Amino acid sequence: MVDDAPAWLLFIVSLLLILGGVLALTGGVGLLRLSNFYQRTHAPSLPATLGIGCVLIASMLFFSVTSGRFVLHELLITMAVLLSAPVTAMMLNRAAIERDRRQYREDAPVPPGRPIKASPTGERNE
Amino acid sequence: MWLMLIVLLPFLGSLCVAFLPSNSKNWEAWLAGLVAAASTVITLCYFPTIASNEVATLRYEWLPTYGLNFSLRMDGFAWLFSLLVSGIGILVVLYARYYLSEKDPIPRFFAFFLAFMGAMLGIVLSGNVIQMALFWELTSLVSFMLIGYWHHRADARRGARMSLIVTATGGLCLLVGLVLMGHVVGSYELSDILSSGDVLREHSWYLAILVLVALGALTKSAQFPFHFWLPRAMAAPTPVSAYLHSATMVKAGVFLLMRFWPVLAGTEAWSYIIGFAGLITLVMGAFVAIFQQDLKGLLAYSTISHLGLITLLLGMGTPLAAVAALFHVLNHATFKASLFMAAGIIDHESGTRDLRQLTGLRKLMPITATLAMVAAAAMAGVPLLNGFLSKEMFFAEAAGFGSGNTWLPTLAVIAGALSVVYSLRFITEVFFGPVPSGELPKTPKEPPRWMRFPIEMLVVLCIVVGTMPGVTVAPALNLAVHHMLGAYTPEYSVQIWHGFNLPLLMSVLAFGFGLVLYFLLQRRYGISRLDKVPLLHRLDGQREFERVLLAVTSFAVRVEEKLTSERLQPQLFWLLLVTLVVGGLTVWRSPIEAVRSPIGFEPMFAVLWIVGGVCAVAAAYQAKHHRLAALILMSATGIVVSLTFALFSAPDLALTQAAVEVVTTVLILLGLRWLPKRLTPDVTGVKATLRDYRRRIRDGLLAVAIGLGMAATTYMVLMSAGPTKLTDFFIQHALPEGGGTNVVNVILVDFRGFDTFGEITVLGVVALTIYALLRRFRPAPESIELPAQRLGDIKNVAPWQLARRGYLAIPAIYFRALMPVLVLLALYFLYRGHNLPGGGFVAGLTLTVALVLQYMVSGTLWIEAKLRIRPHQWLGSGILLALLTGVGAWLFGYPFLTSHTAVVNLPLLGELHLPSAFLFDIGVFALVVGASSLLLIALAHQSLRSHRRHFSGKPPTLRKRGAMRWS
Repeated sequence: MVDDAPAWLLFIVSLLLILGGVLALTGGVGLLRLSNFYQRTHAPSLPATLGIGCVLIASMLFFSVTSGRFVLHELLITMAVLLSAPVTAMMLNRAAIERDRRQYREDAPVPPGRPIKASPTGERNE
Repeated sequence: MWLMLIVLLPFLGSLCVAFLPSNSKNWEAWLAGLVAAASTVITLCYFPTIASNEVATLRYEWLPTYGLNFSLRMDGFAWLFSLLVSGIGILVVLYARYYLSEKDPIPRFFAFFLAFMGAMLGIVLSGNVIQMALFWELTSLVSFMLIGYWHHRADARRGARMSLIVTATGGLCLLVGLVLMGHVVGSYELSDILSSGDVLREHSWYLAILVLVALGALTKSAQFPFHFWLPRAMAAPTPVSAYLHSATMVKAGVFLLMRFWPVLAGTEAWSYIIGFAGLITLVMGAFVAIFQQDLKGLLAYSTISHLGLITLLLGMGTPLAAVAALFHVLNHATFKASLFMAAGIIDHESGTRDLRQLTGLRKLMPITATLAMVAAAAMAGVPLLNGFLSKEMFFAEAAGFGSGNTWLPTLAVIAGALSVVYSLRFITEVFFGPVPSGELPKTPKEPPRWMRFPIEMLVVLCIVVGTMPGVTVAPALNLAVHHMLGAYTPEYSVQIWHGFNLPLLMSVLAFGFGLVLYFLLQRRYGISRLDKVPLLHRLDGQREFERVLLAVTSFAVRVEEKLTSERLQPQLFWLLLVTLVVGGLTVWRSPIEAVRSPIGFEPMFAVLWIVGGVCAVAAAYQAKHHRLAALILMSATGIVVSLTFALFSAPDLALTQAAVEVVTTVLILLGLRWLPKRLTPDVTGVKATLRDYRRRIRDGLLAVAIGLGMAATTYMVLMSAGPTKLTDFFIQHALPEGGGTNVVNVILVDFRGFDTFGEITVLGVVALTIYALLRRFRPAPESIELPAQRLGDIKNVAPWQLARRGYLAIPAIYFRALMPVLVLLALYFLYRGHNLPGGGFVAGLTLTVALVLQYMVSGTLWIEAKLRIRPHQWLGSGILLALLTGVGAWLFGYPFLTSHTAVVNLPLLGELHLPSAFLFDIGVFALVVGASSLLLIALAHQSLRSHRRHFSGKPPTLRKRGAMRWS
């Protein structure tokens, strides 16, 4: 299948795949290097959105051209990823905020380098 | 066919009676009476057949390969016994109708009563000895139920248990004996056994068979040393005592001895075992009976004594003695049943059975008193009553036994004298003396007319048989004796007057001694004031029995303490150790040859597996310290496994594995919350000792060994030749025969459908078990409080409120939007499973994931107000559908679970293959949904139950009834 594909297609697909891989790697390095939780939540968003996006576009392009019809299954994956990644990140952040607020309130020793401002995002607007 | 009805009718009647309402006393009595009467009439109708010396038989195949048939056989002997059982049954039903009070659960009584009658008739009419043992145990069981009828009384419960243990143990011995007997003879048919007496007597197993059969008979007939259960069984209602413990069940033992008399009797061992048991019981029972203060106790011991007399006669081994034994069975049944009924009336009308309180009832209940006195006289052996005739025969046999022995006739006379004493005691103390003036609980009066009727009937029989034996009992007795003894049938004559001879002299002596002894005991020693039996009170069978029982129980408890543990760790340790040893031995004994070479090294795969392996090891390490981390690591391992499947092009497995991982992780997450917090050593102050470290190292080593062993085994299996034929078969036949291109799915639902059926059944059972366990689960006190995460300002807010406007609002919207998509996905997996990756299992799990999401985000109450999931129905209909699909094949004459593919052309969808296995897969789907949502909901309601008090917010309006059932 790969042998039959035109060169321009292979070029674009490879570029997208490499880009996706680099983005994923960047995310991984970020997860390792960033110093606190709130900063670290940004790191996985990168591979989860852009990285996977590149790979999916590459996949759609490749299979659409080689099989001669539109292959759009990947759009479903895109939808799922685009919807769940932010929701997940939001829940994680809220949990972290909740934890930090609790520690603050209970006069627990505050870990160094952690922001301890009570965030208004946890409020309920009842 | 009619023969079958005799046995079957009581059982059918028993079922009918059991379902009658409890306040229809008359209906139950009528039904029971009619059933007993029907059995009697059918038995009577067989008289012409029996009289012409024929044997009525009936045989159905039961387990023909084992030589077991359901067979009924009625000869003269069985005929007489079945007449006895069913005839007295009618009278006892009539009596019980008046005896039982409105407050008693009457259907239960008559149901068990009829069941007993059926079982007893079954013993008597059995033509197959194994079947006989079956009915034998059935009588023990039903007798247990009847003795324990008033189960609110401790003495009834204890008596019932004792009689069950003694007689059922005897029954077990009997079964072994009968099996041995059948082996020796080569057939379990009674007629074959009866015709091979010589073979049996000369066989080397004879003694074992004899001892085992004797154990069965002696326990059932309450013979020494197993007699102690009978007096304790007197806690039963009196009709039960009259029927089971005097007329029928205790006669089963002697019936057995008589039945096998022609094949087992006549040896020295027989005479010693049976004869001595009978002799000791005869004398001891009579002696103890004298000193009883309880009316029924006296009758119970006299029954024991009379049964001893019968056993002794059988033990003598002479045909004439056997005739006397049979005759005495009949006589004893008539007078003792009537005496028990009279005792019941006295108890019923006066409120007590204590001989020391009862007095002068002759004036208050003259008719009953007269009847009881006649029956007691028959028991004592007064001339012109039936008891006299059989006792004369006994004396004659005792006098003629052996040559020149004097001890047997002497003991016979002593026993006769003792029986005169207890009969006199019964008559004089209850009926004579001053009229009671208020010291009895109730003022005695005559019982209802029909309550007395059974006694009248039996007493009339006593007199008629006693005065005209030749015309009344002789023909039936002759028939029975002829069939019982076969070729040994002796010349004998049943008549009142044999002239002045030794037996008559012995009778006279016995009466004389008895009278003297009674007055001596009464005047000099005051038996009415004794509260224990002189000399023999130390010989307490009950105490010994209970001591043995206690010893056995405490031994069992000790063994259990030593060998079992409630702790999970030791259980797992032993389980794994045994697995390791057995598995290791198996592989070591027959190693699998590696024939394939490993495939080349794939760096990506290696990295994947390093990740998976690290996760697995880390999960094991974290399991003790951080459960949540361990769980996450474990699911990471699961994902690696799933990816491995995908890499090796097993998409079905990969899909299923992923779904299983998600559902398990979530369910364990929900369960983790109920585990107690881990207490670190700096909190508890307890340091791990050297022993702890040793144990940990040991457990660690075992775990590593098991893991490596599993890995090695898997590797060997993968490298072995493998059943290539099987693989080829599946691949070739999946489409043409299974109607699907997805081989894995076709294997699951078609080729190995029966396996899958078993598996889903197990899954359902497991889900129900966990549900049952969780329903009663109450968490540890320290985990009842809200978790720290739920404190703070959301403490008093219900989850559904949080999902509406709180911090869960956005996930809630997302998950609710996801629900239809996931349902569609589940249906898609289900639909395409037969041809492409998917299938019922994955589909079910996907649907469960959809439900789990909703529960997690919106809380239990909200979900169940909107959507009522009925896991039980899902589960039940799933398994039913799978079963029906399988059974459907029978309709077309194919074996269970044969698949059929229908090809349909639909206008819009084109050609469709509809294999019946698809229906089966839908069953699997429904079952998986039911099982997993059952677990989910059980866990969810766990939180609801303990947290309900924390919520102040009013729950949404609930339009369900079912949801509350959960909590």
